Amino acid sequence: MFKKILIANRGEIALRVIYACREMGIKTVAVYSEADRDALHVRFADEEVCIGPPRPIDSYLNVPAIISAAEITGADAIHPGYGFLSESGYMAEATEACGVKFIGPPPSVLRLIGDKAQARQEMKKAGLPVLPGTEEPPESLALVMKAARKLGYPLILKATAGGGGRGMRIVRAKEELEHAWLTAQQEAAAAFGDGSIYLEKYVEGPRHIEFQVLADDHGNVVHLGERECSIQRRHQKLIEECPSVVLTERQRRKLGRLVTGAAERVGYRNAGTFEFLMDEGGEFYFLEANARLQVEHPITEMVTGTDIVKEQIRIAAGEELSFRQRDISWTGHAVECRINAEHPFTFRPSPGRVKVFNISGGPGIRIDSAAHAEVTIPPYYDSLVAKIIAHGKSREEAISRMRRTLSMTVIEGIDTTVPLHLKILQDPDFLSGSFSTAFMDRFQAE
Amino acid sequence: MAEDLRKIEELIDLMDARGVEELEVELKGSRVRLRKSRHGGPVPSSIPSPLENQEPENRQTDEQGSPEEDDEGLAFIKSPIVGTFYSAPEPGADPFVKAGTRVKKGQVLCIIEAMKLMNEIDSDQDGEIVEVLVENDQAIQYGEALFSIKPL
Repeated sequence: MFKKILIANRGEIALRVIYACREMGIKTVAVYSEADRDALHVRFADEEVCIGPPRPIDSYLNVPAIISAAEITGADAIHPGYGFLSESGYMAEATEACGVKFIGPPPSVLRLIGDKAQARQEMKKAGLPVLPGTEEPPESLALVMKAARKLGYPLILKATAGGGGRGMRIVRAKEELEHAWLTAQQEAAAAFGDGSIYLEKYVEGPRHIEFQVLADDHGNVVHLGERECSIQRRHQKLIEECPSVVLTERQRRKLGRLVTGAAERVGYRNAGTFEFLMDEGGEFYFLEANARLQVEHPITEMVTGTDIVKEQIRIAAGEELSFRQRDISWTGHAVECRINAEHPFTFRPSPGRVKVFNISGGPGIRIDSAAHAEVTIPPYYDSLVAKIIAHGKSREEAISRMRRTLSMTVIEGIDTTVPLHLKILQDPDFLSGSFSTAFMDRFQAE
Repeated sequence: MAEDLRKIEELIDLMDARGVEELEVELKGSRVRLRKSRHGGPVPSSIPSPLENQEPENRQTDEQGSPEEDDEGLAFIKSPIVGTFYSAPEPGADPFVKAGTRVKKGQVLCIIEAMKLMNEIDSDQDGEIVEVLVENDQAIQYGEALFSIKPL
């Protein structure tokens, strides 16, 4: 087992990794930018190394600085968290080349999964249903138009190199295609350093359902069920829940089998998530895979009673998963609200000094946060302030607990999305489970 | 002298007990600054001689406050990278510079090793090295002060 893990991340996820390491008796190294000198992850790690000035490119994306920090502290593994370098084949390779274990899939798998167009092809071969789309990113406008004619409208343009809504354009008519393709390319090049765009049939108002997978070096590939993440604004998730109200037990078993089969086929290792769209007819289509830990992993942990980060560490250390598929059961219902430092209705970012900070606890509530009173939310990174997770015997109880917690939460000094979440949790469509990714557009129009 | 040492030991104990990272006091005309090292207990960083014996040119020992507040014209060379500090071109060789060495802008002051690459760190100004602030083979963070330098 590792003696010392360096956490190549910040904020709540860095703390999350520290939780697991402390419980396992593993020493931790925090790396931080000059803007995070007083951050909690720095305070609670056993050692800390300043790796650069505030901008991510100079610090949390700075591969040599991070690997050098592992060298000088003698860390034997690096946990990349989510975002930043967690899906970087280059980071994984450089880490391993320096004799440090990368806690995640091998570089070749990261590259395969990270190329969205290639991943689609592989998953199709593995028997997963996929949306009709281009096999290769078309390289000229003429080829783009040809592919669009074949697919029909509406269609969606997407970046092969990354997600999060960047490099994405919905095209509903032929006239929009050229402009959409040009701007999508520019956006993708700026965001990911790669402007390749592929085309896919666009499903109007699908539900977003994703499966959590874990695979070790001993041939165990397990799925931990699904999460529904349909409440999104501009492809950024706001509320996630586990299980999905629309998935039957049979569908879960079938998709779970397909997903573990696909993971095995591509030689997947460690934690990963397979995302699907479900259309109005109840058909599922593979969208993309994320070869890392996800923000919303806690809801799966609450419902299955597992610790995904500990399993990640165990897998990387060459140990077997703590469980087999038959050991996994789902108990109750969990909901997560992502509390961001943004105005709840205009979404204007609100970095700054938090004056008062109290998230109420109580039965069934889990809080993952690196914020506290007197903390300054820096403007350089994402705006996530806290994840609040509510678990209950039923969906009703989980939602009731979440409403109670949010209504008794006090965060002053910055704007947060708490009022928005409270409003969503009272919406009749949300409560009845009849919603899709079109929910937020309709909700905001009111 | 023994009495001074005992007082310093008491200060170190006090720092440990109260979790204090850095402490500066004036004792009978002497100024002492104690700073906790990353890997263990507090490390005395400078113990100046009593003021009445002060040489007028020997300014390094009566600088006070944190580097940023220094108004005596002392500058600091900080590390631009994370790595391991080496004071000499190779083991056993003479160090590149030491206290009192006059350096020109662009002159190599030390090596910082990162990911098996030896990076030469150059001076960004002409000046005289006042103090070498780190030790050979020490782990260095981004922004860590390596040398204090008096611009010329």
